[in-house]
Amino acid sequence: MASYFIRRLLLVIPTFLGITLVVFTITRLVPGGPIERIISEAQQMSATEGDSAGTSQSAANDAPLSPEQIEMLKEFYGFDKPIFISYIEWLGKVLTLDLGTSTRYYDPVWDIIKDKLPVSAYYGVVTTILTYLICIPLGVLKAIKHKSFIDSTSSIVVLIGYALPGFIVAIILFVWPAAQWDWFPLGGFISEEFEDFTAAEQIWDVIHHSILPLIAYMIGGFATMTFLMKNTLMDHLASDYIRTAIAKGLSFRSAVFKHAFRNSLIPLATHFGNNISLFLAGSFLIEKVFNIDGLGLLGFESLVERDYPIVLGVLVITSILGLLGNILSDFCVALVDPRVKFD
Amino acid sequence: MISKIFARFWLIITLFCFGTLGHATDKLPENLQWQTNDTAPIFASPDAKKGGTYRTYLSAFPLTLRTVGPDSNSSFRGAINGNQLSLISLHPNTEELIPELATHWAFGEDKKTMYFKLDKRARWSDGKPVTANDFLYTLEFMRSQHIVAPWYNNYYTEKLDKVVKYDDHTLAIVATKADPDLFLIVNITPTPRHFYGELNKDFVKRYNWSIVPNTGPYQIDKIKKGKSITFKRKKKWWAKDLKYFQGRFNVDRVIYTVIRDQTTVFEYFKKKRLDDFIVTFPNYWHEKAKSIEIYDKGYIKKHWFYTDSRESPAGFWLNLDKDLFKDPNVRYAFAHAIHMDKLLNGLLRGDYSRLENHNTGYGEYTNPNIRARRFDIKKVEELMTASRWKRGTDGIWEKGNLRYSVKVTYSFDGHTPRLVLLKEEAKKAGVDLQLQRLDGSAAFKLILEKKHDAAWMGWSTSFRPRYWQSYHSDNAHKAQTNNITNTDDPAMDKMIRAYRDSIDPQVRIRLAHQIQEKIQEIGAFVPTYKVGYFRTAYWRWWQFPKVAATKNSGGLFEPFGTSLFWLDPAIKKETEQAMKTGKHFKPETIIDTTFKPK
Amino acid sequence: MTTMKLAPLTLKKIKRFRSIKRGYYSLLIFCFMLLITIFAELWINNRALLVYYEGHVYFPTYGAMTPGNTFGLEYDYETNYRDLQKKIELEEGNNFLVMPLVPYNAFEMDLRDTEFPPFSPSWKDKHYLGTDAIGRDMVARLVYGFRVCITFSLFLLVITFAIGIALGCLMGYWGGKFDLFFQRLIEIWSSIPFLYIIMIIASIVVPNLTILVLVSVLFGWMGLTWYMRTATYKEKARDYVMAAKALGASNNRIIFYHILPNTISLIVTFVPFSVAGGISGLTALDYLGFGLPPPTPSWGELLQQGTTNLQAIWIISSTVTALVVVMVSITFIGEAVREGFDPKLHSTFE
Repeated sequence: MASYFIRRLLLVIPTFLGITLVVFTITRLVPGGPIERIISEAQQMSATEGDSAGTSQSAANDAPLSPEQIEMLKEFYGFDKPIFISYIEWLGKVLTLDLGTSTRYYDPVWDIIKDKLPVSAYYGVVTTILTYLICIPLGVLKAIKHKSFIDSTSSIVVLIGYALPGFIVAIILFVWPAAQWDWFPLGGFISEEFEDFTAAEQIWDVIHHSILPLIAYMIGGFATMTFLMKNTLMDHLASDYIRTAIAKGLSFRSAVFKHAFRNSLIPLATHFGNNISLFLAGSFLIEKVFNIDGLGLLGFESLVERDYPIVLGVLVITSILGLLGNILSDFCVALVDPRVKFD
Repeated sequence: MISKIFARFWLIITLFCFGTLGHATDKLPENLQWQTNDTAPIFASPDAKKGGTYRTYLSAFPLTLRTVGPDSNSSFRGAINGNQLSLISLHPNTEELIPELATHWAFGEDKKTMYFKLDKRARWSDGKPVTANDFLYTLEFMRSQHIVAPWYNNYYTEKLDKVVKYDDHTLAIVATKADPDLFLIVNITPTPRHFYGELNKDFVKRYNWSIVPNTGPYQIDKIKKGKSITFKRKKKWWAKDLKYFQGRFNVDRVIYTVIRDQTTVFEYFKKKRLDDFIVTFPNYWHEKAKSIEIYDKGYIKKHWFYTDSRESPAGFWLNLDKDLFKDPNVRYAFAHAIHMDKLLNGLLRGDYSRLENHNTGYGEYTNPNIRARRFDIKKVEELMTASRWKRGTDGIWEKGNLRYSVKVTYSFDGHTPRLVLLKEEAKKAGVDLQLQRLDGSAAFKLILEKKHDAAWMGWSTSFRPRYWQSYHSDNAHKAQTNNITNTDDPAMDKMIRAYRDSIDPQVRIRLAHQIQEKIQEIGAFVPTYKVGYFRTAYWRWWQFPKVAATKNSGGLFEPFGTSLFWLDPAIKKETEQAMKTGKHFKPETIIDTTFKPK
Repeated sequence: MTTMKLAPLTLKKIKRFRSIKRGYYSLLIFCFMLLITIFAELWINNRALLVYYEGHVYFPTYGAMTPGNTFGLEYDYETNYRDLQKKIELEEGNNFLVMPLVPYNAFEMDLRDTEFPPFSPSWKDKHYLGTDAIGRDMVARLVYGFRVCITFSLFLLVITFAIGIALGCLMGYWGGKFDLFFQRLIEIWSSIPFLYIIMIIASIVVPNLTILVLVSVLFGWMGLTWYMRTATYKEKARDYVMAAKALGASNNRIIFYHILPNTISLIVTFVPFSVAGGISGLTALDYLGFGLPPPTPSWGELLQQGTTNLQAIWIISSTVTALVVVMVSITFIGEAVREGFDPKLHSTFE
């Protein structure tokens, strides 16, 4: 099994190279990067002030910046080399844990990402925990009370949640509970006056801010997890070993919780790795609706502003998390179910 | 390549050094007529009280505190530059010259040199005196490749010839050529050499967040990265008793907080966490600020202030290189198919007004006889039929394989409703507008490459009208120039050349009028609207002089500009008490038309 | 021929699907909505359904525009039928015209002299759900927007399924290096943030329906391909395929007669979810401003308008309601299709 995981880990490398190379190439090919921004800034400025600039015809007739100046800019931003070579250079830096410098903030990319990580991690971890805390009992209940009133009504509710994309749920929660009824703050992670609060108020403030986003985050994964729990538990309950156990005099209760329950957790475990990486990366749509300053919003905004070092930095973090998440899932399965052998 | 640039760079530096050395022995010309100005009217209120905090917002945290170099062109640069005085300035209402860092000035006979005597009291915020050396350094600084600001490199090389120092407080600034408005070019700001020293390749990174010594009324006090920036008033500011600075710069602190979302800004204002809220947009003034509790109870005031400033030439810019627009009749028809009346009165509630001319608000330089073409389907039909076009089955004009379908390139999302309305109306006149919204840089790139049919945009304004960049044939038919209509007209070229070469104001005014007529005749620019006012809602404890702002001002609360507000602590206390007890005041809306053009 | 052979089994599946009431009624509702949007011109339009004027009958709904001077109006652009109706009523002649239920189209702005949009719902003005922020009828925007949405989703569906089935089937059947290559490609491809790419593209060119569909296909074919590969792989290992092979059946025959019919019945269960995915994808793009250019009617744009114009609560409420109804009914259909076509009949513990 160890060899299996080693092979999986090794396969991460080409995949990671592939992802970053594709995105790196795209960011190089599209217009609107820092150099074009400076050129167009210069253009706009000369439109207002530079009319009579240049006594000599030649200087004034050209574009606002000379080719030499543009070359200098390219060198300044590292755009002066062919794509592949600069990709290798970028990759070399990444390997030494240097994600480069933002082309807009001129701060190290890692520092900027580091600032946002706690927020994303908070939502990621809390969402994952809450999802399991709610889905497992609900799934068990639904399995035991199959076809009862509780089962069918909760199915409808869960399915409706599943039907709606997370950002639509976020919008609904933003419009009514937050904006119209004023029950929750309009967005953000903490209040402005956070620093003046007492500890208890601070805790409440964070909770108060995070209730709505958490619902929006959770609601999609809810259905899958709940039904998975329910269905596997029901399969197990119907299987021979449980029948035997009960025939031998074990109570239904202990049959469910001592035997069937544990075995039913296996498929849930396979989702664990995916969930955690997904939530850590955040959904920028939900972050945008609630104005949460997390990793997702950072990626989105730097993309809009063409700050490619940050875009690539966020991509590195999320894709590594994603790839490792997959492996983690397999590992969880192996942990829960000793019979599983990978080859 | 690189070495070539380097060679060039060193050449500039050496020339420059020689220049200064050479002139160090220069004598000041003797027959100079020194001028100053202590007779212009004051515009601030002598009753203004000092103290208090003014809280406003930024929609994004600035990317840098540098005022040159990459990403320095943000709105926040205004706040930093506002605290950096220049040699002289223009009186905001009368536009006469008034002293700033210089107490006296004189014009040289060559019409390209201006002499200045510095105020000996002038100090940097770190206490060092401001001397002629700091102006010499400005030139060196702005010409340096290390600041990664090619536009400034060019500007300070092509426009300014040199700075000559006579003694620590006397200097001359020489432009490269004579100019009728010379003071606009030579009126530079000092740069603290003692702070920067020798520049090197690290400049952009090293000074990204540094607080540079300044000469103005405030200095940055606290920075919370990504969240807020606080300016603090200098208690012992060297210029606080100068005539034109009295009664201004009244608050002790100015706090900028980052609020990304416009809806949240309004919520913050209502919760008293911001001092003012700009309601210039028609839907804000009429919907949002209409019946809110704090207004009905009189806790906030609403202020509508008309200005008389130079208006941005905003509208449709038709690309004359497109087959469709080769025929002037078709261009005129385009203007007649744009239903500005319906836009202004139907959607914009009659708040904005029609822009008539390429240069509006330039005083004598504006040709008052030019009137923009109005929406008129009959005229469209006459013009199009005269050029032998016919309406197709969908009502859109056709001729051979041409169809009157125009792609309109624009970038600001908020303008979509306006264009959608114009599109629906133009359809009635047989003109099909296809809206093409691109993000700012992509739109600008496409337009500068002259690949657009029609561009919906406005240029920023300048002190005097300028035409060479936008209308001279030198800049037509090629990428990366500002002649986005591809205007290529020999008569126009001649007038522009004459306008640029003349330094006689009367000749220039006459030529400007003729050029504006020519622009109208060519019909490639379809002017749309101008705003012509600003509107603000603010808490009632903010006080203003009788005329609350100046002729050219951009708002009531421009803490480092010509704004005149101050805080009255007694009224603040009274209001806050009233809010607790539920007491009301009379709701107040002020409409000030002092400067509204007739 | 295959379908003939499968007929009884398929019938059984359809019967099972129909027995799931929630899904069945959702399907009916969904089909009703489809009909409404397909024939939207007949009941939401600014053109009259029928005009009787001076002895002539006109049906202006479809086809080229009829200029105003046809009806004695003094202009030769498209007739404003609402005005024509008022004119005809005033004249008291034999002329008459019939307007659709909602006499507005999705583009025209209903602007007035004294009031300014958005207008709240009003039966009198026949804006049954009010207007959006610039005075366009909400019903019209919603219904025509649904048409755009569903067209997008259907195109996306057909192309992704074509690619997914073909490629997935080949990967599963051939296996080996071909399979490995595409496995890696899929893994890399699915880690590329699709929205990033589409945003970059949307900022360079104005996307139209074709571009959006193509880009969505480019980043949306992996899921189905992967599933199809696994299904083919399993099917290939089964005895009857072995038997067919042993009997000397050609690859083509095995794929088209044995593997495809059996796997496609599984793939069908993905159809509703894929449609739902298409709708939410396009809505998200439009919401962010990277979707179809204005003035295309779009739900995402309405969401955007609704969240910025909270005082006009009818914009956001009707859009959200429409979205919830559509998405929930599709999900219910999907759930029922899955139960009907891919039954995992859970034995229950008694």
